[in-house]
Amino acid sequence: MTMNRKLYFLLGISFTVGLVIVLIYGLFYSSRPGEIPSAQLQKTAKSFQATTFDGQAISLEQFRGQPVILNFWASWCVSCRQEAHIIEAAWQQYGDEGAVFIGIAINDTREASLGFIRRYGKTYLLAPDDKTGTISLDYGVTAVPETFLIDKTGVITEKVLGAISRKTIDSFLSGQL
Amino acid sequence: MNTRKLVLFLIGIGFSGLLFGSEDMENRVREIAHKLRCPTCQAMSVKESDAGLSLNMKQRIRELLEEGKSEDEILQFFEERYGEWILRSPKKEGISLLLWTLPGLIILVTILILIKYLWKKSRDTVGIDTSPLSKAELRQIENDLKQL
Repeated sequence: MTMNRKLYFLLGISFTVGLVIVLIYGLFYSSRPGEIPSAQLQKTAKSFQATTFDGQAISLEQFRGQPVILNFWASWCVSCRQEAHIIEAAWQQYGDEGAVFIGIAINDTREASLGFIRRYGKTYLLAPDDKTGTISLDYGVTAVPETFLIDKTGVITEKVLGAISRKTIDSFLSGQL
Repeated sequence: MNTRKLVLFLIGIGFSGLLFGSEDMENRVREIAHKLRCPTCQAMSVKESDAGLSLNMKQRIRELLEEGKSEDEILQFFEERYGEWILRSPKKEGISLLLWTLPGLIILVTILILIKYLWKKSRDTVGIDTSPLSKAELRQIENDLKQL
């Protein structure tokens, strides 16, 4: 085998191996539909104003200096039922310590949202998004439930897709309170 | 009578302007929505999807167009919030640029290798050996010449 042939052979082998590695990575490691990257992570949370279902005007700015658990939910969402008690229980425990819990209902009717609130005994700050879903679009929400953990400096440190666990809330707040 | 016809004519023009204007707006909304991925059902575009978030996105596109935003500005608006994956055609830069150009590069390199191989083969077929003669060959030639 001449030197040139050896070189071409090695190049061919390296290229094929490289291509197979890229293929395996792409198929099994890089693409995880359940873990959509958020463009909002490690960025200052976008400010918003809302009026809660009981008529209280709130703005994210007023909670600067406090950790915020911002949850997007809807009455028609099955996983939202699963996490409803978890969030309420965490609010009951950490609310007095300064943690803020906000639930924004998206793509839902007011009556259905109110029914859900009553059924699951939710008492933290709960407000509907507007008709265009301004708040959820600003946060790049992909589905409900989705929760953003905002630290005391107003930076989004984590996004949870699907029902949030008590462990995640405890772990986040233990470093914030 | 003429004044009445003129007024009706002008109202007609105004009404058709509104009608076509809104149709044009909807076409632009659809064009932009086609370039965005549905956040909930990612195999579809926002245009094709009837998911709540996609409907909100279409409404937002409409509002941004009414505010006078260009298509690029609107796509950027969603990219800032969702990340580049929300665009159905990734930008041709960074790793995406490599993925876009790699197939072309592979074809080009293959063609070049093929040309080089064919050129070398055709040159070898002509059979011109320009390498210096070995001692044995020289001796053979000398012997042949002596025999002449």
